[in-house]
Amino acid sequence: MAPGPDPGGGPSATRPGLRRVEQVMGTAISLNLADDLPAAELHELAGDVFAWLREVDARFSTYRADSEVCRVDRGELPLAAAGADLRAVLARCADLWKATDGFFDAYATGRLDPSGYVKGWAVQVASDRLLAAGAANHCLNAGGDVRVRGRSSTGRPWRIGVRHPWDAMSTCLVLAGTDLAVATSGVYERGHHVLDPRRAAPARGLRSVTVVGSDLGLADAYATAAVAMGPAGIGWLDGLPAHRHAVVTDDARLLHSTDLPLA
Amino acid sequence: MRRALLAITGLAAGTTAMVVLKGSPGTSPVAQDLPVAPAPVVPAPAGPTPAGEDVPAAPSPERTSASPRPGRTATRAPASRPSGTTRTPSAPRTTTKAPPPAPTTRTVTGPVVENEYGNVQVQITLRGSRIVDVVALELPEETAQSDQRSEQVDGRYSGSSGLVVQRQSADVDTVSGATATSTSYKRSLQAAIDRAN
Repeated sequence: MAPGPDPGGGPSATRPGLRRVEQVMGTAISLNLADDLPAAELHELAGDVFAWLREVDARFSTYRADSEVCRVDRGELPLAAAGADLRAVLARCADLWKATDGFFDAYATGRLDPSGYVKGWAVQVASDRLLAAGAANHCLNAGGDVRVRGRSSTGRPWRIGVRHPWDAMSTCLVLAGTDLAVATSGVYERGHHVLDPRRAAPARGLRSVTVVGSDLGLADAYATAAVAMGPAGIGWLDGLPAHRHAVVTDDARLLHSTDLPLA
Repeated sequence: MRRALLAITGLAAGTTAMVVLKGSPGTSPVAQDLPVAPAPVVPAPAGPTPAGEDVPAAPSPERTSASPRPGRTATRAPASRPSGTTRTPSAPRTTTKAPPPAPTTRTVTGPVVENEYGNVQVQITLRGSRIVDVVALELPEETAQSDQRSEQVDGRYSGSSGLVVQRQSADVDTVSGATATSTSYKRSLQAAIDRAN
């Protein structure tokens, strides 16, 4: 919760690295730095990650009336005067709207809400920065959207479970890899809250969609779009270049790409 | 998962029974009555197996189901090959999927059965003397032949209508899921992992 020293990063840890969890963007964000770096350096890296995520939250949250997103939405801040990040994010959202045939829609709620892309993008940027800073082995999980690089402190590739859609304490699939973005969208959490923007009705048919790629912002948006598409999303995911997927249908069927990086 | 599916398919080649438990919403269930006392269920090793069916190579529409509950959809029971040897279940797994209604529902887990394709372990759910669900807990993973079959049969997917979603190993570093709130996080496997670290 609160920032500060984490027991995982102390000298008592048998494995190198640092683990820290904080609440940002309305969800829990778990960071696992697996590099064998001096504790002070790890703490600084972790501090940078969470500072960045809090900054994104302050600027992009739809729950904060003073965020850039809300000010642009109300017309108070001209888009041209907004930050480069926001302009880039909105450009990506427009691309995604086209790529998903309108199913990813930053205006689905009737007002500007790029949240479906922002969280994954923010985590991806944080991971890119860690890599550039020399922390090549890390795992960053923001509310179930995961970016892993390198290996865990055990020395093996990161193992990423996909949550069982009917059991929060179980996984239904285990992936492994050294460079993966894994995003899962599902209706089990808040009911059928994903809207089919075309019918303006809750999407049905797919209980959980996991997309695996290299960019977490894209993976997250694709997963959300596929849930909105319902059963047709399965075929759409299959045609998506450079991405793998796993789908659990409302009637408890699990389907996935044959080349999904299973553990 | 894909391998598992093909493993089933592979098994079917020389194998015995296939149980289609539940048809599509419109059709009547094909569940069979259990003629004998359903003690610990071992996928009938050897023995006089009634005319074994081959698993259909093509997607069968009756394998889909609109049931919203997990584990109640149609599934196939891989049976052991006659040459199969039996060993005791290494780690009995638990399930919490017993469907709510109806008279005495119980779940029986069979032992792990080895055959030339690998290990198979099946769990069945009985309501009275009726089999209402069959889930493969363990299926062979690596065989060249099953891989080949998988490509033929399944195309790009783990199955035409997918496998029934199952629980997997909890040996993970992190969990991907739709964790929207801090409350749901507290009740999640990810939170348990974070606490353990």
